[in-house]
Amino acid sequence: MLSSLDISTSALVAQRTRLNAISGNIANISSLTDEEGNPSAYRARQVVFQTDDSLSTSGASGVKVSEIKTDDSEPLYRYQPNHPLAIEEGKWKGYVAYPNIDLTTEMVDALETTRAYEANVGVMEISKNLGRETLSILA
Amino acid sequence: MLGIFQSSTIPALEQSLSFAQKRHELLAGNLANMDTPGYRSRDLDVGEFQNALAESVHNSRVANAAGRVGPITRDDLFAGPRAATEQVVFHDGNDVSMENQIMNISKNQHLHSLAITTMRSQFALLRAAITERA
Repeated sequence: MLSSLDISTSALVAQRTRLNAISGNIANISSLTDEEGNPSAYRARQVVFQTDDSLSTSGASGVKVSEIKTDDSEPLYRYQPNHPLAIEEGKWKGYVAYPNIDLTTEMVDALETTRAYEANVGVMEISKNLGRETLSILA
Repeated sequence: MLGIFQSSTIPALEQSLSFAQKRHELLAGNLANMDTPGYRSRDLDVGEFQNALAESVHNSRVANAAGRVGPITRDDLFAGPRAATEQVVFHDGNDVSMENQIMNISKNQHLHSLAITTMRSQFALLRAAITERA
């Protein structure tokens, strides 16, 4: 009974991590430089989920974040020759590299994450009710 | 003294409760893995459990009639999880349908409540009989 709480918690943690990644992606939608200030468009991060069988012995499994992938698609190039970060040579001369983040995709992902989080909170509530009912036999 | 519990439905209810709790764990796991690529939902077969339980109860009655107490045993009324029926598989290989899972969880919760409530009234009856008070 208590391990179903653990399982739901693992999902809450995983979904929270995913929401953090999505927030980061949206927050950095126009970040043109990296942490050190070098010109490099921000790359979207994607959280990958994996089943975690270590939480329960009865065959039920929780979920964990197995890795955080960095999107390696091409950045979006916009022609802004007067921009201080404009590319100075090569094919994209005069262009500025912008992060290739699709706001719609991120928002839909954020919604899905929120709903999944809520669903798991609901299951936790039910788990607690079951436990409480079981204890009520004693009373 | 075995008879006091064996002659009631308490052992059967106990099995039902234990089944409901195990199943709840699996269903919680399914919902937790709603977004895990490649995950296949797991479940325990309710029909199979009910049949096995009914058979077990019946056998126990027969044994009682013959003057011998046949306790209802665990006898693996629910032998481990299995992949639930094949359903719509999403593009990531996952087959968890949130609506179905929620419905199963809430049905299971009601089964659990039913067993608990019945069990409590059984105990109340026993207590009434012991204390000679209704």
